[in-house]
Amino acid sequence: MKTEVKHDKNSTIVVVSGTVDALTAPELATVLAEQVADGHVNLIVNLVAVEFMSSAGLRTLLGAVKDSRSHGGDLRIASTNPGIEKVLKMSGFHTIAKVFASQDEAISSFGS
Amino acid sequence: MTSTHRITRAAHLESLNDFREFIKKQCARVPDINEEFLYDVQLAVDEACTNIMTHGYADLNPGSIILDLEIDPDELTVTLTDFGHSFEPSHTPIPDVDAPIEERALGGFGLFFILQSVDAMDYRVTEDGNKMILTKYLRKQLKENNEDRSET
Repeated sequence: MKTEVKHDKNSTIVVVSGTVDALTAPELATVLAEQVADGHVNLIVNLVAVEFMSSAGLRTLLGAVKDSRSHGGDLRIASTNPGIEKVLKMSGFHTIAKVFASQDEAISSFGS
Repeated sequence: MTSTHRITRAAHLESLNDFREFIKKQCARVPDINEEFLYDVQLAVDEACTNIMTHGYADLNPGSIILDLEIDPDELTVTLTDFGHSFEPSHTPIPDVDAPIEERALGGFGLFFILQSVDAMDYRVTEDGNKMILTKYLRKQLKENNEDRSET
């Protein structure tokens, strides 16, 4: 798994690639927690280049949604992989956080 | 014709990728297995192996997981064998996926995802280890593929 952090005007984008499983999810959790701790509370997690994500990744995202919201921000997702979409839907994640079909749409949702 | 394949790996998280790649490689030989079917099987195997690694072998010397994969024209079957602590699937709580975020536990999705991703799950404690048997029907997927084709 690789992560890349980019700061936009109103949000911070964490671009994730590779696989998010029980081995790699803690690394993603650290990256997201660091952003919130640094005051970047409006987060976009771009999962477009993620090939596989298990419940360990989902747990990380749920934790980061709670963390960002408790600091006055929000976490939104960009995802196109049907397998990951299914994981998000099975867990009811769609009812908790916003999921967009592209990074640009997620960025726009935080306002321009 | 039935094909059978086996992989054995140490029960630590570094092996998860090997198990997923093994499933991918073997499924690639079956032309009618689509991406969704593959993801479901990889997810079920990944979740089951993660549970064995983190709970099954907790407080024990690192053991192994044996994965036996059987593919026949009707179904794909994965049998995972481990020698750690067993568990009782019916005693595992099912997460409330409709609960608001404030009331949500972060974890507990492993077995739930397994049950959602395969058509049948059986768990047995035997003299030859704990065995989780995951079955996913290929016939059903082939029927769905054909229906998709006829719609386009």
